[in-house]
Amino acid sequence: METRRLVLTLTGIAVVMIVVLGGLGAILLASGGGDDNGTTAGDGDEDGLGERVEGELRLFGPDPITLDPACASDAGSAEYIVEIFSGLVSFDLDLNLIPDIAEDLPEVSDDGTVYTFHLRSNVLFHDNSRPVTADDFKYSLERSLNPDTQSTVGEVYLDDLVGAAEFIAGNADEVSGIRVIDPQTLELTITEPSAVFVDKLTYPTAYVVDQREVGDATCFEGGGWTLTPNGTGPFKLEEWDLGRKIVLTANPRFHLEPAPALERVTFILSGGSSFVMYENDEIDITGIGSNNIESVRDPNSDLNADLHEGPSLNVFYIGFNTQEAPFDDADLRNALSLSIDRNFLAREFLLDLVVPAKGILPPGMDGYNEALPDIPFDPDAARDLLEKAGGAGVIDGATILTSGQGATPSDILQVVLAMWEQELGITVSIEQEDFGLFLRDIDDGKFQMFSLGWIADYPDPQNFLDIKLHSESANNEAGYSNPAVDALLDQADGEADEATRLELYQQAEELIVIDMPWAPLYHGKASYLVKPYVEGFVIPPFVIPNLRYVSISR
Amino acid sequence: MPAGLATYIIRRLLLLPLILLIVSFATFALGRYAPVDYVEIQAGPRAQPETIERIREERGLNDPVPVQYVRYMGNALTGDFGISTRYQGFPVADVILPRMWITMQYNAVVLVLTFSIGLPLGTWAALRRGTWQDPLSIGVFLFFASVPVLISIPLLQWLFSVKLGVLPSGGWSEAEYLGVELGIFSKQAVLPILALTLPGVAGIARYMRGQVMEVLDQDFVRTANAKGLKASTVVTRHVARNALLPIVTILGFELAALIGGSIFVETLLGIPGIGLLAFESIKSRDYDTIMAIVLIGSMVFVLAMLVIDIAYGFIDPRIRVEGRIS
Repeated sequence: METRRLVLTLTGIAVVMIVVLGGLGAILLASGGGDDNGTTAGDGDEDGLGERVEGELRLFGPDPITLDPACASDAGSAEYIVEIFSGLVSFDLDLNLIPDIAEDLPEVSDDGTVYTFHLRSNVLFHDNSRPVTADDFKYSLERSLNPDTQSTVGEVYLDDLVGAAEFIAGNADEVSGIRVIDPQTLELTITEPSAVFVDKLTYPTAYVVDQREVGDATCFEGGGWTLTPNGTGPFKLEEWDLGRKIVLTANPRFHLEPAPALERVTFILSGGSSFVMYENDEIDITGIGSNNIESVRDPNSDLNADLHEGPSLNVFYIGFNTQEAPFDDADLRNALSLSIDRNFLAREFLLDLVVPAKGILPPGMDGYNEALPDIPFDPDAARDLLEKAGGAGVIDGATILTSGQGATPSDILQVVLAMWEQELGITVSIEQEDFGLFLRDIDDGKFQMFSLGWIADYPDPQNFLDIKLHSESANNEAGYSNPAVDALLDQADGEADEATRLELYQQAEELIVIDMPWAPLYHGKASYLVKPYVEGFVIPPFVIPNLRYVSISR
Repeated sequence: MPAGLATYIIRRLLLLPLILLIVSFATFALGRYAPVDYVEIQAGPRAQPETIERIREERGLNDPVPVQYVRYMGNALTGDFGISTRYQGFPVADVILPRMWITMQYNAVVLVLTFSIGLPLGTWAALRRGTWQDPLSIGVFLFFASVPVLISIPLLQWLFSVKLGVLPSGGWSEAEYLGVELGIFSKQAVLPILALTLPGVAGIARYMRGQVMEVLDQDFVRTANAKGLKASTVVTRHVARNALLPIVTILGFELAALIGGSIFVETLLGIPGIGLLAFESIKSRDYDTIMAIVLIGSMVFVLAMLVIDIAYGFIDPRIRVEGRIS
């Protein structure tokens, strides 16, 4: 029977393919050492539609690149790390620096360079095997700095330590500025007084990891331990199904008050739109953007009562290449800045999801200058300044560099360009690059203008002004250099009195706004929806552990 | 198995390493010569250029590309396909296999549905030639075959998860059915299967309709009808079988898609399959993962084509592989 033969053949093809694919799978699996713990299929006890376990919070989370504290350079990874691990100090939700594994904030020597931390004696690793000691911190800090670990961020946050440079260069076996006095006492010495050194210790690169578990794993090899990390944070990692979900469970022995009230937190890492998932009751919290904000703001909307807003410590700006003509001319930069209608941009175009910027520092940050005047929208003044700078001709054909994929650059940038064209009659073209290439080009000064944002690592003006606009900072892409500003920033950095220090930063910011190396556009806000039965949830303005404050009541 | 066939298969299999070599070198070189590597992307805006350069050196990214290629192939031959950098520190196999499994599952269902619905539907449409159902069915097929998933998926999402609230809007999970736990038993699988089956069925039906109509005009069909055979016998035994032949080729391509995945469907629905992984890997310059995906994809494609070629010989005695290779 020919027909039967045909059917048999087709079935045969399918069977052969399945065997071949299965074989391939087996080969690959064998090459992976067979250790696919947690990367295989999940529990399967849920079908993800509106079902929930008692005391469970369901979130839509970013898909992290790593859960290794020494290696995380992105906020998406840090969000999980700060819940699973912890360090000497951290921030609470009011952005106060609080002791974490340290018993108190450190004692600082008179010259401001030696910090002594006394550790709590009751902090256990998640497996309850042993308490955290000063040795563990020495190991963890040195691991972050060790070139063999290949961390891209270790030295960004820890290079203040005495001996860090020698250690990185391979000229020392240990970092001399990290001393273990006794199991409960750690002494850190920095090269010169710094108001933000302790702030930097809240970043994951200074978190403690279990030496016995981590061993010599680098950032790029041997990441398997992060599937079962033995941390000290408020939550334990229960399951990490790469690319699919992360499940955290409460650490019942957590050393700070309040201890976690949630039993478990499930982060869904994949799925369509988080707004739709929220509407569909698949998750309890979602961020919200300009596509959906209007419908939610409608008082008749079911979701209206769920809407929350909070400050976010960031600034979005257009940077100018102050080292090269024509943008080395402050008049030209000011002309461009004055012809941007920030109110329209923030309120009409971005639907009040952002706040118009009047300076560099975002509202909510220490040192934010309430009294700083708004940057006006003044096309006449802008045209005068442009004439002074040589007229529209000097800027014709200029390009602005931006990052992203696809051929559509951000709407915001297009609006700004349209304003420039309308008010000043100048045409600027957009050049879009892959994020990595974009970063390299602005680092190398290969741009005329660029658009970028900056998000706080810690709530201190130093993190914005010193790092982005000090002439000697490696992150000063605009190449801005004003000796008066440098002097103020240096003075602030060594200033012990907090009020004076903040005032110095405000003075520096005033000078910066006059020079306009950046045209600051706006500060983002966190806008999000929270189900009514979730209590105590806020999106912090930058990454800080926030889940232990959350509870569920229904 | 005839000796000629064995020789043919062996010859084709011997070509496989050569094909893989060419594909792998092209992929490798394209990746390495593209500006910006994974160290730079992951370092982000805060890292110092010196740190990036140091790590690049340690990871061998500064070596000449041919040297890096030889090193990679050396490791690959011993079964070490490298380390992912998007999922930093995890072996590529650990990252790829669970993803491949997900993509295979829903694509297998799509494949079965597409053919089991599309073929009879196409045959039916051809037999209705000249009636009012003909332009209607053509219109429907054309419509569903032409709507890209970029448009159909948001509509399906809106209808099933927002409006009706019966399906989750995306993602992937497992569910148990008859004691077996598989992703395709979960509600998450419905949308991708629907989104791929609709255009698949329409496409196959349209193709099958054309094939059947062509066969219907052949002399032997007229002869069969003239002999007084029952219409159903003519269709199943003579028409359908002959019309199916070219469809086998399509089956080959569909089989390759089993693990090739669909970048659009997976990106839109957030299904953590191989397509989404490929997209993310390219974005983050995850060299080793990209290599593994491309190599597996090419290997499956070559093998699928080989199987199809051999299958032709079985189905149609007129196409004998011996004849082809002599």
